[in-house]
Amino acid sequence: MSSQVIVLVEDDPGLRVLTTRALQGDGFEVHPAGSAPEMWRALDRAAVDLVLLDVMLPGTSGIDLCRQIRQKSDVPIIFVSARDSEMDRVIGLELGADDYLPKPFGTRELVARVRAVLRRGGMDRRHEAAGDGKAHFDGWSVDFPRREVLSPSGATVDLTGAEFDLLSSFLAHPQRVISRERLLELARTRIGDSSDRSVDVLVSRLRRKLSHDGAPPPIVTVRGAGYMFNAKVTHY
Amino acid sequence: MSAGGRWSLGLLGRILAILLLAVVVEFGVSTLLYERASRLSVHEDEAHRLAENLALAVKFFNDTPMADRHALADRLSTDRYIFTWHEEAPRPPLANPALSRMRLQVTAWEPSLVGTQLRLRVKSPGRSNVVIGNLRLRDGTGLEIHAPHLIQSTTFTINRIALALAPAIALVVIGALLTRVTLRPIRELVKATGEIGHGGTVQLAEKGPAEVRRLTRAFNEMQARITTLIEGRTRALAGVGHDLRTPIARLRLRTDMIDDPQVRKAFAGDLVEIEGMLNSLLAYFGRDVDPEARSRVDLAVMLSSMVDELADEGKPAEYQGPDHCEAVCRKSEIKRAVSNLIENAIHYGGRAIVGLRIEGPDAAITVDDEGPGIPEDAIAMACEPFVRLDAARARNTNGLGLGLSIVTHAAASAGGRFSLANRPEGGLRATLVLPLQPLET
Repeated sequence: MSSQVIVLVEDDPGLRVLTTRALQGDGFEVHPAGSAPEMWRALDRAAVDLVLLDVMLPGTSGIDLCRQIRQKSDVPIIFVSARDSEMDRVIGLELGADDYLPKPFGTRELVARVRAVLRRGGMDRRHEAAGDGKAHFDGWSVDFPRREVLSPSGATVDLTGAEFDLLSSFLAHPQRVISRERLLELARTRIGDSSDRSVDVLVSRLRRKLSHDGAPPPIVTVRGAGYMFNAKVTHY
Repeated sequence: MSAGGRWSLGLLGRILAILLLAVVVEFGVSTLLYERASRLSVHEDEAHRLAENLALAVKFFNDTPMADRHALADRLSTDRYIFTWHEEAPRPPLANPALSRMRLQVTAWEPSLVGTQLRLRVKSPGRSNVVIGNLRLRDGTGLEIHAPHLIQSTTFTINRIALALAPAIALVVIGALLTRVTLRPIRELVKATGEIGHGGTVQLAEKGPAEVRRLTRAFNEMQARITTLIEGRTRALAGVGHDLRTPIARLRLRTDMIDDPQVRKAFAGDLVEIEGMLNSLLAYFGRDVDPEARSRVDLAVMLSSMVDELADEGKPAEYQGPDHCEAVCRKSEIKRAVSNLIENAIHYGGRAIVGLRIEGPDAAITVDDEGPGIPEDAIAMACEPFVRLDAARARNTNGLGLGLSIVTHAAASAGGRFSLANRPEGGLRATLVLPLQPLET
């Protein structure tokens, strides 16, 4: 399998070089760009799997750039910003960015986010035609890019990173038995301690956090096989 | 409102005007009342008796020869009416307008007295109040009558005191009301001054006396200057903070390239510390630059996820509380506040026990630790910005001493409260009380 191509748009030369090296170290092919025109050239030159975009570029704002990319392509975009303001995050995600990475980030976090978005991109292509990354079940709604879960009463339900990844895996394979091993594999980036027990702990936490009005969430244990998400899931 | 040029009396002018008004009213009312009081009239029947007595006496004196008139006067005199006869015509006494009404009453009842040049006056009014009447008999001699009991002196005095007191009391009340109205803008100014610095600006309308209007304008301008100054510095600081994130990101990526694991770990630790300081600084200053909107949040799940995240990293944190508890709040702000409390609890108290209780309309979030607590007299100081209680351990502390003041601010902006207390069983308890359904502001 040929390595996946990432276009990195970052105006700070030092950070551009370092990020490029970090991603290359993980087996990605990286095309660095220091400005908007360079980015367009890089996008034209090759098939691109992901764009890593700094919001605060001189000249053009990253937000405008994101909008322009979206008009032409569905390539996954990760926003990088030094401002961890809620506004930036929301605007970026509304405009179609797939994730938001606040500065400063470490190599592990960078690679994990890139992998997660690439995997989700693949998943999206498998399960839905053109979705903007939302799912519904039993009155609950899940926003994947914003990593946000809303209860039937409209309250934000904060999950830990690992719990959200586990829920995403369930939502990608509803009404099918998934083994513990498979769940671990799907959520590998988040679960440090990769034992079967950690999956059980995560599932029990998810059940507690996703209960509503006394009704348990539709995660059933299938003896000797694993777990099943027993609800109708609509992606859109 | 630019009422700067509008003409105004000024505070001094107003107070003088109030005094002037008081004096004028007092003078006017007193004059009016004294006029009333001295225009004494007696009861109709008293006047009639006086008239009848006078008419009869005049008739007797006219019919009696001069020689017998002194004796007649003695015979006619009673306790109530004492007659004296004067051989020469009475010198015209000073007409007392005060008794003109009584004279009218008398002459109306006995028209025969009209031609007698009857003059009535009051002697030493206020004490014994003797009404003295003088008239001319037909032959030009004079008759004088003293009527000591005609006017009750006691009622007269009480009336006078009451009459004098009434306007005085009314004046005090009016004066107090007017002064109150005049000073109202100053009271508003005092109130506004107390509100400055608790978020938001208080723009006062320029009204009232000239001095107060000038004061109000100066106050508004001062407030605007302070706001601009603080905003400018906050923005500059926030800008620097954001700019610092790019070099920190470079350092973090470079750190990952260090081969020696010990050096790498040390570098990473330093970077975490720098980042912690930067984040708390930005949280402290950024809250005013970029306020967050309120939304419905499941506090119970939020707290247990925060604890789970830490527990997954092997940190000593646990959650005790209900599975669900929905509240409307600024999520990031509350999350940051609680996270500061948890960090403190783990750092100073060995472990963090996060609790949640619903208390009527509020949610009470508690963070307990098992540390030594803090001295009672230092509890209030602990919430001040840039205060760290353990100066000696400052080097090990992650942050700038802004943690608790961020919590205090979060509590205030949510309409809740924050308190610290030493637990009787040891350790410190931090309590953050938030309304489940805050009032819209």
